[in-house]
Amino acid sequence: MPYTILEHTADVRLLVEGRTLGELFAEALRGMMEVLKPEGKEDAAETRRRIQLEAASRTALLVDFLNEALCLAETHREAYAEVTFESISETRVDAVLRGRAVESFGEDVKAVTYHEAEIRETGEGKLETKLVLDI
Amino acid sequence: MFPKSSLVKIHEWLWEIPKSYREDMRVPARVYASDRMLDQISTDRSLEQLVNVATLPGIVGHALSMPDIHEGYGFPVGGVAAFDAEDGVISPGGIGYDINCGVRLLCAEVPLSVIQSHLAELGSALYREVPSGVGQGGRLTMKGKDLDGVLEGGAGRLVELGYGDEADLQRIESQGTLEQASAGLVSQHAKDRGRDQLGTMGAGNHFVEVGVVERIYDDAEAKRLGLFLEQVTVLIHTGSRGLGHQVATDYIREMGRAMPRHGITLPDPQLACTPFASREGQEYFQAMSAGANFAWANRQLITWEVRKAWQDVLGAAGGSLRLVYDVAHNIAKIEEYRVGPVSKRMVIHRKGATRSFPNQPVLVPGSMGTRSFLLLGQEKAMSESFGSSCHGAGRRMSRTRAKKEIQGAELKRRLTAQGIVMNVGKLSALAEEAPEAYKDVDEVVEVIHQAGIAKKVAHFRPVAVIKG
Repeated sequence: MPYTILEHTADVRLLVEGRTLGELFAEALRGMMEVLKPEGKEDAAETRRRIQLEAASRTALLVDFLNEALCLAETHREAYAEVTFESISETRVDAVLRGRAVESFGEDVKAVTYHEAEIRETGEGKLETKLVLDI
Repeated sequence: MFPKSSLVKIHEWLWEIPKSYREDMRVPARVYASDRMLDQISTDRSLEQLVNVATLPGIVGHALSMPDIHEGYGFPVGGVAAFDAEDGVISPGGIGYDINCGVRLLCAEVPLSVIQSHLAELGSALYREVPSGVGQGGRLTMKGKDLDGVLEGGAGRLVELGYGDEADLQRIESQGTLEQASAGLVSQHAKDRGRDQLGTMGAGNHFVEVGVVERIYDDAEAKRLGLFLEQVTVLIHTGSRGLGHQVATDYIREMGRAMPRHGITLPDPQLACTPFASREGQEYFQAMSAGANFAWANRQLITWEVRKAWQDVLGAAGGSLRLVYDVAHNIAKIEEYRVGPVSKRMVIHRKGATRSFPNQPVLVPGSMGTRSFLLLGQEKAMSESFGSSCHGAGRRMSRTRAKKEIQGAELKRRLTAQGIVMNVGKLSALAEEAPEAYKDVDEVVEVIHQAGIAKKVAHFRPVAVIKG
């Protein structure tokens, strides 16, 4: 299961897995997009947005990456289904989001928080983290 | 599960987690609750989160929580914390992403009987005039100097533009403008995210609700506020939308990076903070104030939209809608309180908590379909709770569980059968806001009333709900 939505009293808690850092970032993006519940405009043309970021740790990089994608989604009213990485390391990411314009979002995600976020190895060769989204 | 045995009873409605509970606590933590509510509060992580707040540098007195406390991220929702303005910190997580999320109450000149036959039409008109903003934007798109004017002028700027009158401003916390706001410290990202969101309510638990005064607890105070039985009211609950969310995102990241320079380590990175007096602290405070002004401008424009719908449907027979009060419940303010023999300037963080100054109206919306309260702040709040009170019913059930247990369509039918006109955008999201997902607002308000930090004046029952 690449991402799972867990219980949280007020917000949304995601558990995300990936075999690589890139896969983890991509699954977290998919999880956040599911929470946003984009609706409509099936036939809209594909759009691309670039994200280039640096952070002090891979966990901070993931949270900052998702917040950047969220800001782009809300500003341009777009949902992103795919991401390709020009490069990704523990502290730097250069990525292109691919998505489409949407009519609306069913949920207002305010932000992805650092609370409980910590990327760690699971022991099965996978990376895993929890993410709490403020909605 | 928080060990209830670690709580010491201060009085019937107030409990303390002593400083000895955890080594890193700088002050004790206090919880306003009934014995029964405490059982429920102890089941999630909210009290552990409150203990984390008690570890922050420069915290004064106690880390406080109101009876509507529930688990958040970093700070619990329903939390109040005071930091010394000279050597304490400011923490964006202690205000939250929805800067100046708040509530505004309007009241009509007429009783329900005058508008009853137009209620369905009024519900539809309100739904049309007040967009949710999660799809199309609002009626005003602002950028450049126009947007900067709103960020620095708040509700006052909207009144200058013709969306309200001077009398409105006198009935808003801080008159709807924080003067220290600086538009130059709000990122372009935040401005882009919020440029078409003025006059929109957003999704989640935000709403516009038409109600009716069902019970008055204090005749003299109700009269002073111009309230009477059966009077029609309108409650507006929303905040600073994407602009405020982005201000918080930007500065939480910035403070996370700056903390090592200030030698601050924390039990949870979401509590990221810097000294209030530092460059980062001051810049966040000015940017947050701009976000708060945007929220007051947003509620001002929504008020104009509500008045337009009211006028369009009811004409002269409806009379006017007067602003009773507008309170913020996610904000940081500079206020003075006595600590021992001296008065000190403090940075009061309210996250899911309302200012409760003596004789100031405190608005406490219930969950969807249940009653909402108007309270009046009391002197005791100044000596006991840093001039603060509760902000709502407070969630008790997760959104995922609410959706599993409650069907949106069934909930809409149930509320309609209770005589409530429902204008709702997305039924799937409705279940998340079901009354069962929240605590009993009567119980929350009773604790506040009995503890003496605010007193009950009146309550309203809903007759029309408008949601995105």
